[in-house]
Amino acid sequence: MIELRGVRKVYPSHDGHPPVIALGGVDLTIQTQEIVCLLGPSGCGKTTLLKAIMGLVSLDAGEVRIDGQLVSAPGADRAMVFQNFALLPWADVMTNVAFGLDLRGVSRAERELKAREWIRAVGLEGFERHYPRQLSGGMQQRVGLARALAVNPTILLMDEPFGAVDAQTRRLLQEDLLALLEHSRKTVFFVTHSMEEALLLGGRLVLMTQRPSRIRDETVVRLPRPRPPDVEKDPRFIELKEYLWQQLRAMQISTAGHDG
Amino acid sequence: MSLERGRGNDSSRLLKWSLRLGSFAALALSWELLARVVNSLLVPTFTETLAALVRLLMTSRLWGALWISNQAMALGFGLAAIAGVAVGFLMGRWRAAERFIEPYLSILLVMPMSAVIPIIIMATGLGLASRVMVVFSFAFATIAINTRAGVRMIEPSWIEMTRAFGATERQLWLTILLRGASPAVLMGLRLGLIRAVSGMITMELLLIAVGVGRLILHFQGNFEAAEMYAIVIVVIAEAVLLTQLCQRLEVSRFAKYSDRQRYARAASWADQAVTE
Amino acid sequence: MMDDNANMAPQAEQTQGRSDAEGEGRAKAALGQSGEDGTLSAFPHLRIPASWLSLTAGVIAWELAGWWAGLGFLPPFSRVLWTAAGLIASGQIVTPLLASLLSLLAGYGAAVTLGLALGVLMGRYRTVEFVLTPYLEAFLAAPKIALVPVMYAVFGLSRLIQVAVIFLSGFFVVVLNTMRGIQTVEPACVEMAHAFGATERQLFWKVLLPGALPLTMAGLRLAIGHAVRGMVTAEMLVALFGLGALLRSYGARFDAEKVFAILLVVIGVALVCSFMVQVAERRMTRWADTTLE
Repeated sequence: MIELRGVRKVYPSHDGHPPVIALGGVDLTIQTQEIVCLLGPSGCGKTTLLKAIMGLVSLDAGEVRIDGQLVSAPGADRAMVFQNFALLPWADVMTNVAFGLDLRGVSRAERELKAREWIRAVGLEGFERHYPRQLSGGMQQRVGLARALAVNPTILLMDEPFGAVDAQTRRLLQEDLLALLEHSRKTVFFVTHSMEEALLLGGRLVLMTQRPSRIRDETVVRLPRPRPPDVEKDPRFIELKEYLWQQLRAMQISTAGHDG
Repeated sequence: MSLERGRGNDSSRLLKWSLRLGSFAALALSWELLARVVNSLLVPTFTETLAALVRLLMTSRLWGALWISNQAMALGFGLAAIAGVAVGFLMGRWRAAERFIEPYLSILLVMPMSAVIPIIIMATGLGLASRVMVVFSFAFATIAINTRAGVRMIEPSWIEMTRAFGATERQLWLTILLRGASPAVLMGLRLGLIRAVSGMITMELLLIAVGVGRLILHFQGNFEAAEMYAIVIVVIAEAVLLTQLCQRLEVSRFAKYSDRQRYARAASWADQAVTE
Repeated sequence: MMDDNANMAPQAEQTQGRSDAEGEGRAKAALGQSGEDGTLSAFPHLRIPASWLSLTAGVIAWELAGWWAGLGFLPPFSRVLWTAAGLIASGQIVTPLLASLLSLLAGYGAAVTLGLALGVLMGRYRTVEFVLTPYLEAFLAAPKIALVPVMYAVFGLSRLIQVAVIFLSGFFVVVLNTMRGIQTVEPACVEMAHAFGATERQLFWKVLLPGALPLTMAGLRLAIGHAVRGMVTAEMLVALFGLGALLRSYGARFDAEKVFAILLVVIGVALVCSFMVQVAERRMTRWADTTLE
C-alpha cells in the first residue's frame, strides 16, 4: 500500500525565476495491487509525484510511506518505466533488460535467464543482441518494460510510458501491458495525458490540478476486467470520459492566464 | 566554456568563487616559494615577474612590440577569415566544391603548419608578407572546416521550406544560410584565432625576431628572466582575451539556436568542433 | 566527496529517430545536390572517388608548376618524391623519425593518461570544474610554444622541452572532451540508473564512463593532431633532434626539395597517427547513434 500525506515539493528559485511549487500538498492512497492512473494538465507535478514515490526526490513537507515504511530512496520493491525509454544506448537489449538485476548483484547466468524470460514476455524474442537505435519506439519501450519487470517489483511506476510512440503502437502496448498485469498482479501507478488510456488501464483514476498541484478528484472505474476489445463503446466508458473531460477542461480554463 | 549555469544557491557560489581565488593564490604562492628555493637566475619569483610585468606595461617598448607582432596577426587572420569563410560556405553549399576541396582540407587540418614555415620563408622572404602568410596558413583550415560544418548543420527542413516558398539562391543565403551558420562560423573564427596567435609567436621565436618574439629572445639572451616571463604572460593573456571576446559573441549566437550538439555531430571532419 | 554532478548534465542529446547519415543526406538533398556516393558521373562505368581525382589533379598541377615556374621554393612533385625516397632508403630519416616518435609517444601517452584522469574529475564534480575551468580555457587558448623559452630556462636544453610541449598540446584537449563526455551523458540514463538503485560507483562505471566514450575518443583523436603539431614546432624551435630539427636545418640551407620531402614524411606521420586513433575510436563507439567522425 502506498500512502502519501501532505506531500509537498518546491523547486527553489534559480536564475531569477520564482520558486516552483511542483506539489502543493498531495494526499493519496494506493491500495496493493491496484492500478491507479494519474491524469492532469501538462506542467503539473505528475512526474514529480512519481519520482517522490520512487524515492528520487526529497520532499519539503509530507511523507510517502510504502506498507508503513518511509520512502527516502529507491528500493527493490519499486521499478519505473520512463517516457523517453532511458535505455543505455551502448548496451544491447539483453544487457538493458538485465540492467536492474546487474545493479543488484545478480549473477550473470541468472541475469541472462531472467532477462530472456522477460524479453520473451514482452514479445521481443530474437532481438536480444539488437541495440536501441535499431529498434522502433514501441520496441524500445518494451525493453524498458521488461527491464522494470525483470527486477520483480511489487510496485510499478509508469511515467507516460506510451507517450512517445504512435497511436497504433500505443494501443498494442496498452493491451500487452494489461495482459502482463493479468499474469502477475502489481501495484501500478500510471501517469498519463490521455483519458482513453487512463480509462483503459486504470481501476481508479486520480485527477491532479495545475501547480501548486493537489489531488482534485478521484473516480473509480467500473469497467470489466479484463477489458473487452470494444470497451470504448461501452456507455459507461463514454460517460466517464465525458466526465473526465469536463473536469480537465475546467482545470485548464481556471488556470488559463496563470503561469504554467 | 560552460554554457550551463550553476544551480547552487548563493552560499555554494561563494564557496566556489573562493576556491577559485584560493587556487590561484595557492599557485602564486607555490611559484614564489619554489623560485626562492631554486634561487636561479633563470627562474624569477612570482613577485619579480609581476613587477617586471607592470614595468613593461608602462613602457612603449612592449606596446611597440605588440603592435608590430599584431600587424601580421591581424592581416593574416583577417585574410584567413575571409578566405576560410568563403571556402567553407562554398563547400557547404555545393557538393562539387566540397568533394573537390575536401582532401586538401583534411590534409591541411592534420598537417603541422610550422613545417611549412621554411617554405614560406623561401618564397616570401623575411618581411611582413611572410609573417602574414604564416599566420594565414595556421588559421585558414580551421575556419574553413567550421564554416562548412555550420552550413551543414542548418536544419534541412528550413531550407526545404524556404525553397518551397520560391526563394532564389540569393534570398536563401540572406535569410537562412548566413544566419544559421553564424554560431559555427564564430566558433571557427575563435579556434582560428588561437592558431593565428600561435602562428604569430612561432614565427617570431623561430626565424624572424620581431615584435614580442624578439623581446622574449632579447630578455632570454640577457638573462632577464622576470622580464621574459612577463612577456610570455602578455602573449598568453592576449590569446585568452581575444578568445574570450569571441566566445561572448559565440555564446550569444549559440544561445539563440541552442544546437551545439547537432553542430558537433554535423562537423564530422571539423577537427576543432569538439574541442569546445 | 559529494557528487554535485548528478542530474545536472546539460544539453541532453535527443537522439531518437534520425540518424546522422540520414540527416546529412536530407541536408544535401535540401541544398539541391545529388549524387550520394561522391563519385563522378563523367565515367559512369568507372566509379572513382572524387577526392582521389582531386588529389591527382593537384599533384599534376604541382608537378607542372614545379617544372614550368622554375621557382626555387617549389620543386616539382616528382623530385620531392625522389628526395623523400632517397632519405628513406639511405636511412637518414630513420633516426630523426624515431626520435620524434619517441617524444610523441611519451608526450601523448602522458597527455592521455593524465588528461583522462583530470577530465573525469572535472566532469564528475562541478566544483572541480568550476575551479579549474579558467586554467583550462587559458591553456587551450594560449600558444603552447610561447612557453618554450620558459621551459628552456627551467629545464635547460633538453628533450624534456619537446615532450612537455607535446604533452601540453594534447593534454587540455583530452581533459576538455573527457569532461564534456561525462557531462553530456543522457541525464535520463543517469536518472534511470538512480531509479534502479545504482550506487555512485555503479553509476560511474556502468553509465558515465560508457556514455562518455564517444566524446572522449573524439578528444583523443583531436589530441593526437595537436600533439603532432606541437612535436614539429617544438623540435623546430629547440632543434636538437627529430623531424622538426631536420626541417629547420634544411630550411636554413634553402634546400626546398629536402624540406618538402620531410614535410611529406611529417604529413604521413600525422595521417597515420590520426588514422590509428580514429580506428580505435570507431571500434569503441560502434553503438553510437551519431559517430563524431
